[in-house]
Amino acid sequence: MRGDPDNGVPVAIARVRGAFCPQCPGSDTAGEMFERSERFMRRAAVLSETGLREVLARACQKTRLMAPVRRGKTSFDFEWIDDPDAVQMDYVRTVLPPKKAFLPVREMLLEFARGAQQAAAPLLDDAPFVLFGVHPCDLTAINQLDWAMGKRHGVADPHYVARRSAALIVGIDCMPDEYCFCTSVDSSDAREGADLFLTPIDAGYLVEVLTDRGEQPLAESGDGRDATPEEEAAPRAHGAEKKRRVTTRIESELEALPDLLERRYGAEVFEETAARCYSCGTCTNVCPTCFCFDVGDEVDLLLASGTRERRYDSCQFLDFAVVAGGHNFRGERVDRVRHRWFRKFVYLLREHGAPFCVGCGRCSKFCTAEIGLVDVLNSVLAEAKEEAVR
Amino acid sequence: MTTVERRFPEQQPDALFVPEMATIGRAENLTAQDRLFEIELPGGKDLGHKPGQFVEVSIYGFGEAPISVSSSPARRGSFELCVRKLGGLTGKLYTLGAGDSVGIRGPFGNGFAMEDFEGADCLIVAGGIGMAPLRSVVNTILADRDRYGRLILLYGNRTPDDILFADELEAWGEDDRNQVLVTIDRPAEGWDGHVGVVTTLFEEITLDPSRKVVAAVVGPPVMYRFVYVELAMMRIPEDHIYFSLERRMKCGVGKCGHCQVEGKYVCIDGPVFTGEALREFHESI
Ligand SMILES: Cc1cc2nc3c(=O)[nH]c(=O)nc-3n(C[C@H](O)[C@H](O)[C@H](O)COP(=O)(O)OP(=O)(O)OC[C@H]3O[C@@H](n4cnc5c(N)ncnc54)[C@H](O)[C@@H]3O)c2cc1C
Ligand code: SF4
Ligand code: SF4
Ligand code: FES
Repeated sequence: MRGDPDNGVPVAIARVRGAFCPQCPGSDTAGEMFERSERFMRRAAVLSETGLREVLARACQKTRLMAPVRRGKTSFDFEWIDDPDAVQMDYVRTVLPPKKAFLPVREMLLEFARGAQQAAAPLLDDAPFVLFGVHPCDLTAINQLDWAMGKRHGVADPHYVARRSAALIVGIDCMPDEYCFCTSVDSSDAREGADLFLTPIDAGYLVEVLTDRGEQPLAESGDGRDATPEEEAAPRAHGAEKKRRVTTRIESELEALPDLLERRYGAEVFEETAARCYSCGTCTNVCPTCFCFDVGDEVDLLLASGTRERRYDSCQFLDFAVVAGGHNFRGERVDRVRHRWFRKFVYLLREHGAPFCVGCGRCSKFCTAEIGLVDVLNSVLAEAKEEAVR
Repeated sequence: MTTVERRFPEQQPDALFVPEMATIGRAENLTAQDRLFEIELPGGKDLGHKPGQFVEVSIYGFGEAPISVSSSPARRGSFELCVRKLGGLTGKLYTLGAGDSVGIRGPFGNGFAMEDFEGADCLIVAGGIGMAPLRSVVNTILADRDRYGRLILLYGNRTPDDILFADELEAWGEDDRNQVLVTIDRPAEGWDGHVGVVTTLFEEITLDPSRKVVAAVVGPPVMYRFVYVELAMMRIPEDHIYFSLERRMKCGVGKCGHCQVEGKYVCIDGPVFTGEALREFHESI
C-alpha cells in the first residue's frame, strides 16, 4: 500500500532505503557451507579429448553423471547419463539449467503412511555425483542458489544441501550467442562453485584444478599432464574473446538498478509486456536462479501411503499468490510481470548484493511471446533516465 | 595457496520440512465452519510461541497450511488452533477430533511486539477469523492485566452465526478496564447489537488523548485499508499500529517465495508488520 490519496490513505513519505552494499550481511552465508573454489586455479593440467572421455566414463561407473546432451537439432539438456560419448562438450545453452541436479523439477521431501503417529524421515539424496559441463553463468547461478537455499534466513534447506554437498562440479567455458549478456551481470569468468574448470585448447582441454576434491579425477586419470605457460594463458584469452563477442547488454551499473527500477514501478513497458505475456511460466522454469516452489502430497492408489513433494512453481502463474477465500495478491498480469524483474533486480539484488540473473539468456530465448528480459529492463532504464532529465 | 576444506553445515535440522506429530486433546465446533482444537505436543512440551506467530499444520495426504496460534503463551502443556474450513487441508482438519494426530512445524513468524503494548491502551480490531490470532493477544494481556492499560476490542463479522468465542467475549467485557464491541455487517433476525462493518465501531469509542495507544489489526485483506484510515484519523502513530498479513505459504522458512511482499517475506519478516513498514510497499494490502 503506497500512500494513495484516491483511496483515502495518507500520502506516503518518501523513505531512503538502505544503500546497496556488496558486503551486505548474509551475502556470503553460503560460503560457510560448501568448499569454494578460488577465483584462480590451484594448478593447471592438460587433458586430451580421449582422456576427458575416460574421466567421464569413470564418473559414470563410480558415481552418477549429469551432463549436457543433444536433444534436438539445436537443443541441449542436462541429463543423467550412462554413456560418456553422449556428453556434448560444445553447446550454447541447455533448455533447463543444471539447477535440476540440486533442485529437481519434482522431488520427494518425505514419505508417509496415512494416519501415522510417528514423524516421517526426510528423504535426503546424498549419493555422490559429477555435474559436468557447467558454463560460467550457470556456475554463478549455482552460487546464488547456494545462498538462497543455504543459511539465508537462518536455516538451510537440507534437501538442497544434501545434493549440493554430494556434487563434484566441472565447469567448461563457452562462446555466447545474441541472447547472452553475462558481461553485464559479472558472470562471464566465474569459477566459484566449480571443482574443475575446462577451456578448450589445441591439445584438448586446459583443466583448472580449483579444489581439493577436483584433484581426485585427475589423480585417477593417467592422461593429465602439467600445462605449459602458454597453455595456462588459454582461459584468460578465451574469456577475453568471449567478452568481445557478447552483444547484448544492460544499460546500467548493477548497483544503480534497484533505485532506477523502483522509481519506474509503474513503467509503461510492464503494461506492454503484460499485454503480450501468456503467464505460461516458461521463463521462470528455465531460469537457473529461480527457486520458488510448491509443495503438495501425492497419495498412492490405495490411499495408504504417499509422499510430500516439492515442484517448481512460477510467480507468473495466476494462482501463485492466491489465498484461501480467493483473494489474489497479484491477480493482475502486470503485477506478476513486474514481480519477475523486481525480484531479480531489486529485492534479491538488495538482499544478496548481486542480481538474481546471470545473463544466460534462457528466459528470452524460450519465451513463448518473445519477450526479451534485457529489452524490457533497458526500456525501464530509458524511462527512468528520461524522467531524471525532465 | 589456501585450501578451503569442504565443510558440512553445522547440524541443520534435516527435518526442516518434517512435521512433529502432535495429538488433538480436545476439539469443538465454534460455528458451522470454524473448529477449535487443543493440540498437545509429544511429552506435553510447550510450543514456546509469541502471540501472532503461526504453525504449519499438516495431515499426510492432505497437505499443509499455516494456522495462527489462538491461545496465549500463558497457557502451558498445550496450545489452541481455531480453523476455518476453506479447502483441502482445513476441510479434513474440521473432521478430526480428540485423539487424532496432526503434524506441526513451527512456530514461525515474528508475532506481535507485546512489549510495545505494555503500559499502553490496547485497541484490538478483528474481522472474522482474524479473531483467532488476536485471541492470543487478548489472553496475553488478560493473563498479566496490570501491565497493560485499557483493552478495547472491536470485532466485526458477517452474521451473528459467524461470531467466534462468544462466551469469552462476554467474559472479557465484564472487567470495566475492557470494552468489547461486536458488530455484524447487515441486520439479522434476533440480533439487537451493532450493525455495520467493523469501521463503524470506531464512532462508539473514545480514546484518552493523553495516553499511548497501540493497535493490533487482523482480518480479511479488504478490511485493512479502511481500518488504516480510521486509525490514522485517531492519530495513532503508524509505528504503534500492527497488522498481520495473510499470504499463500508453502514453506514457512523464507525459501518458497510464495509469501513475498516486495523485499520482505511474510513468513519470517511478518506476518505482523507496523503501519510504518507497510507504507513502504506497493503490494502489501
Ligand atoms: C500467517 C497465516 C495465519 C493463518 N491463520 C489461520 C487461522 O488461524 N485459522 C484459519 O482458519 N486460517 C488461517 N490462515 C489461512 C489458512 O492458512 C488457509 O485457510 C489454508 O491455507 C487453506 O488451506 P486448505 O488446504 O484448506 O485450502 P486449499 O485447498 O489450499 O484452498 C483454499 C482456498 O484457497 C484458494 N485457492 C487455493 N488454491 C487455489 C488455486 N490454485 N487457484 C485459485 N484459488 C485457490 C481458494 O479460494 C480455495 O477455496 C492463516 C494464513 C496465514 C498465511
Ligand atoms: S532471468 Fe533470464 S537471462 Fe537471467 S538468469 Fe534467468 S533465465 Fe537467464
Ligand atoms: S515465458 Fe514469456 S509468455 Fe511465458 S510467462 Fe514468461 S514472459 Fe510470459
Ligand atoms: S512461506 Fe515460503 S517463503 Fe514464506
